[in-house]
Amino acid sequence: MGFLQDVTKLISDIPFVEKAYDFEEEELLIKGKVKLSIEELPHPLEFDVEVFKCYPLKNYDSESIKFKSLDLIEYKHVMGDGSICVHTAHHTNLKSKLNYDFISLKNWILKYYVGKEKDDHYEHIIVDEKLVHNQYWSYQFTDIEQSFEKGEFGEVTISPLLPIGTFRGARISNHIIQSFIRNNGEKLDCKWSQLYKQFNITNSGCYVFIESPPANHGKFIYTKWSDLQDHLPLQFLTFLLEFQKKFIKDRGKIFPLFIGYNTDDSNIHWQVALLELGNFPVMGYRMPSGKWEMILKHDMEIDWGLTRNSSFDYFFGRGSFSKHITEKKILIIGVGAVGSMVAKTLTRCGCKFIDIADSDIKEPENICRSEYQFNFGLGDKTEELRIILGTISPFVETNVVDKDYFQGIIKLFHKEKGSKLNFEKSLNDYDLVFDCTTDNDLMYALDSLDLKCALINLSITNFANELVCAFYPNIYNFVMNQFNNVLDNDTTDLYNPTGCWSPTFKASYNDIALLVHKALSRINSLYDSGARKNNFVIEGSGSDLKVIEF
Amino acid sequence: MATNKQEYLQTVLETHRMSHVEDLVNKFKSKRDEVKDALTSHYGSQIYSPFDSGSFKKHTAINTKFDLDVVVPVKRDSFDTLDKMFDSFYDFLSDEFGENATVRKQTVSIGIIFEEDSDGDVISLDIVPGRELSQDQYSNDKKLNLFVSSDYGIFSSSTYIQTNIQAQIDHIKAKDNERKIIRLLKIWNNNDGKEFKSFLLELITIKAFDTEDISGNLWEKLQQVMTYIKDNVTNDSFKLIDPGNSNNDLMDTLTSWGRTNLSSRMGTMLDRIESNSDNIKGYFPTNSDFEEEDKSSSSGYGVKTGAAAFSTPPDNQRFG
Repeated sequence: MGFLQDVTKLISDIPFVEKAYDFEEEELLIKGKVKLSIEELPHPLEFDVEVFKCYPLKNYDSESIKFKSLDLIEYKHVMGDGSICVHTAHHTNLKSKLNYDFISLKNWILKYYVGKEKDDHYEHIIVDEKLVHNQYWSYQFTDIEQSFEKGEFGEVTISPLLPIGTFRGARISNHIIQSFIRNNGEKLDCKWSQLYKQFNITNSGCYVFIESPPANHGKFIYTKWSDLQDHLPLQFLTFLLEFQKKFIKDRGKIFPLFIGYNTDDSNIHWQVALLELGNFPVMGYRMPSGKWEMILKHDMEIDWGLTRNSSFDYFFGRGSFSKHITEKKILIIGVGAVGSMVAKTLTRCGCKFIDIADSDIKEPENICRSEYQFNFGLGDKTEELRIILGTISPFVETNVVDKDYFQGIIKLFHKEKGSKLNFEKSLNDYDLVFDCTTDNDLMYALDSLDLKCALINLSITNFANELVCAFYPNIYNFVMNQFNNVLDNDTTDLYNPTGCWSPTFKASYNDIALLVHKALSRINSLYDSGARKNNFVIEGSGSDLKVIEF
Repeated sequence: MATNKQEYLQTVLETHRMSHVEDLVNKFKSKRDEVKDALTSHYGSQIYSPFDSGSFKKHTAINTKFDLDVVVPVKRDSFDTLDKMFDSFYDFLSDEFGENATVRKQTVSIGIIFEEDSDGDVISLDIVPGRELSQDQYSNDKKLNLFVSSDYGIFSSSTYIQTNIQAQIDHIKAKDNERKIIRLLKIWNNNDGKEFKSFLLELITIKAFDTEDISGNLWEKLQQVMTYIKDNVTNDSFKLIDPGNSNNDLMDTLTSWGRTNLSSRMGTMLDRIESNSDNIKGYFPTNSDFEEEDKSSSSGYGVKTGAAAFSTPPDNQRFG
């Protein structure tokens, strides 16, 4: 039998399928209808069924079977074309996969059609993001301190991100919203890091907060401006026309309008509509009384652009370190291989304050096993890393500490009472300090200070055979004993790229990263649980890493 | 090369002997006498003779961190209340020494930290005023009531505690073996975050010796005491009665987590030292200021031979 006959037969055999009919074959799919009879249903339900020929494999990320009914469009998890959103388990057997998918459909019917259940989590409205002027336009927003009231409107300031890229094969122009400016002049700044706040403001837009989603059935975004007529205050339409008048010299230029609404009790979303200066969807006409009225152009379609919520919680929602780490003010002294990996990992895991200190220069040969990049060329490690961290997270604040402070000044003066107090004070301004310098003298000097902040020392042996992690106050003695007496640190086989004055250890990025990530995972876990922070050594390689606690 | 734990611990104790800092100790004693004289002169017949206590008196002091304690027995009728006594001592010491020292209220004592002298030394003394329970009773049984400041300790409001400091001193008299183990545990504790009171480590060591047959060389004795601590402190029924007050159980100063932590620290240390004898040095450091030169060579307890090589990095080189 062929695919058409197989599928039709197997669907007919499913117990709650009353009837499978009108199935026919097209080039890439077969399609037909099914009538489902389920005990809880007062009457059978009919669906159009489309089965792509790659079935039971998926089509890209989507199920390659579709169940559609435009009659059910008001129910949860039904798309604009009436297809039910089902996600089912992988299977390569046609019969089993059909069973899975029809049982999923049955479950949807019971839960959302019969039970009329609503989900606790927010379901984003379905937006048909359009190409405008042959390109996509994206805008990212983040949290601000203030809230908005229904009907309020004002200006928006915008900065571009990196130059034009591509999105689904077409050009895209990416932007971030910098601030919302209320009509009374109050400026509501988005909570980006200073790096992004300092970006040039090159574009303007405007906003209006309408409170509820601009969508039918709470999920299908409006397609025509007339759909918004009841949501947009008259004063806003006037404001919009005045705006157009003000910038009319830029006729034809894209002008973003951000429409805000609540997604739950504490979050809002901004959906951008792309207007063209000189062709705003607003018309003014004079009433017989002489008074001007504003209306939206009825047949004009809305060109929706791309907006993304990049608030801290969304940005790091998929995974981050414990708040007992991410909220801490952190200093990393020494940003070589280990230190730069620590900095980058902390940044990707949601840390907000990471200062760095190092007097070293980045050379090309540093790149292969640290977090530095070739395109920066030669330069101070700290400055390059500061930029790299900022390119990863728009929430991390990174300052570069005076390069001489740790490797020179503290060692010179740490025994002098006044200086000692100053060093303690400056370090105690941080919550958590990582010493990744491998400088024994600095380790000794830091250990002798009376610190309130947490101090963690990280270093590794040649070939990255072991990583030693020590917590203040038992750092110097423990680490020295490990390297002096306990660990087998073979320093006869080192890499001497430019002579005996600059030997360095041998280990790949992967060798070092394995140890660093394992160590950071343990540190995160210690802070999260509040457990005692005992020194530890990680030894072994590959999947055989072993943590030895001291 | 494996470490000879017995020899190593002897070196640890040797480098922590108070005799290495004799000049400094003399400065402490001189300041202590100055304060004693001032108190005697000021309070006259209101007090009995101040006497020395603390680790100096008990011979359990170590030279990396120490202060001198002076107990001042106060006659019952001298003050209406203990807090008035405590405040009076604080006020007097502040007036008398505040110009050149930081004077502060502590749990049961008044701390005096003198400014750094020309040698860079800082002298600190703890003065413990204690009032006899009833008029003239002190001469008979040495019992005193100490004021406990509300800002410190496990007490939520200001209160008092009855004690007999002389009995505490007598409790450790002529116990040389115990003193060595106490000093070692203090060295460990100072190096490991100072989580535990020295008095607790002192009482638990004495109890281990009293309860178990602690014998062998220094390492073996330490090992047995550590094992005793590991095995016993998590038992709810385990008590450490203060020899100065039978109602005072030092174990009450530890939370349930604190008991588990102490037991766990002992267990981890024993395991690590068992797996590699060199790890003993990470827990019980020598005082490098007083290590003999030859002990720093490859044959001793310091760095390995490779550390002294030139043109190639030492084998204690760390990387990162």
